[in-house]
Amino acid sequence: MTSSPPAMLPGGPGGVLDGKGKQTFLDGIWGNNPISIQVLGVCSALAVTARLANSLVMGVALIFVCVGSNLFVSLLRNVTPRRIRMIAEMAIIATFVILFDQFLKGFYWEMSRQLGPYVGLIITNCIVMGRAEAFALQNRPLVSIVDGVANGLGYAVVLAVIGFARELLGAGTVLGYTVLSTDWYTPCQLMILAPGAFIALGLLIAVYNGFKGPEPEETTP
Amino acid sequence: MKDSLYTLVYAIVLGTVCATLLTAAARFVEPYYKSNAEAERMRNILGVLDVPFDEDASSQELVAVFRKEVREETTGKLRKFLYVPSAGDGQAVAAAVPFEGQGLWGPVKGFLALEPDLRTIRGITFHEQEETPGLGGEIAADWFRGQFKGKRIVAEDGRAGIRIRVGAAGANEVDAITGATLTCQKVEAMINEAIDRIVEPKEASDDQ
Repeated sequence: MTSSPPAMLPGGPGGVLDGKGKQTFLDGIWGNNPISIQVLGVCSALAVTARLANSLVMGVALIFVCVGSNLFVSLLRNVTPRRIRMIAEMAIIATFVILFDQFLKGFYWEMSRQLGPYVGLIITNCIVMGRAEAFALQNRPLVSIVDGVANGLGYAVVLAVIGFARELLGAGTVLGYTVLSTDWYTPCQLMILAPGAFIALGLLIAVYNGFKGPEPEETTP
Repeated sequence: MKDSLYTLVYAIVLGTVCATLLTAAARFVEPYYKSNAEAERMRNILGVLDVPFDEDASSQELVAVFRKEVREETTGKLRKFLYVPSAGDGQAVAAAVPFEGQGLWGPVKGFLALEPDLRTIRGITFHEQEETPGLGGEIAADWFRGQFKGKRIVAEDGRAGIRIRVGAAGANEVDAITGATLTCQKVEAMINEAIDRIVEPKEASDDQ
């Protein structure tokens, strides 16, 4: 979790994004990526990434839900009673998830059928709730939107990479188009199966942290 | 006391707003959802029967083609859709039989298409399934469904039913999906239940 800076006063320094738009954006995608650093939301990252197309739609869904819930949690942050704030967050999150699910059912029937229950399960995705609790509750609406986009994107990018790798190695295709012909490539079925998801995600987190370098020691102020 | 009241009012207002929004969305999407489901059903029947139709056809066009080329017929417990080409001599060239059952995660529904002899499989579709994408969900993939073409629904030894197993060899066997054993078993059971319905009425009349 990020250590949240103290809430800014309305009209505080730094313009509409309180001077932390860029940092918030970079944190979500790279510095504090929800999957590879915080290791949140891995359940769906493992479940839907057997196909790249499915991964992309899940990514879009999460961006939509994160932005929507962050915006409304932030808008309501000063009027929401603290005792029921989590239930209120859940209600907001669930609303956005079901809206997206309905949209898929109505207009992208085929994809909706393929993703099955996993769209609805975004309600329980820790990233969405985590951002609402850790960021939107303490920050103003616009910068909360930035945070939602960034974390949704951070999730989407990781899913896309895993989905790409699993589909390519496991089925020899990318977005359904054959890339590695089965004439000379034997699809590695392990990659499509659940263990393949764990291996791919584990490797990705390892590589990611290798690039990023070791975490600096926590120092208490 | 005042706090509790405020909390209660807040919860009621938030809940009402969310519920209203969702109801409105559901009402708005429902007609699309329904026509998607109906067109999907017809598309599946047309597809499994090999009726030529335009892939990009609208729902209305699909319904028109369906009405023109397909006849529904029920004998005893067996409901089937016959492909009687409007340009042909009135003979059915294929038949589709619906089947359904419980999959691993939810209901599975589909159609089994047969040659006019009602003993040779022509094709199969699964128009409703919620199996694990990439694993059990592969039942809807071309490679799995394609295997059924030409299979016999009655084995060499005269027993009715197909088998989904690893290393399929017989005329009534198809290859199972790795990692989806439960889905395969459940799908096999529901197909065989339909096959029983197909085989029984005819067997009874053969005895006479």
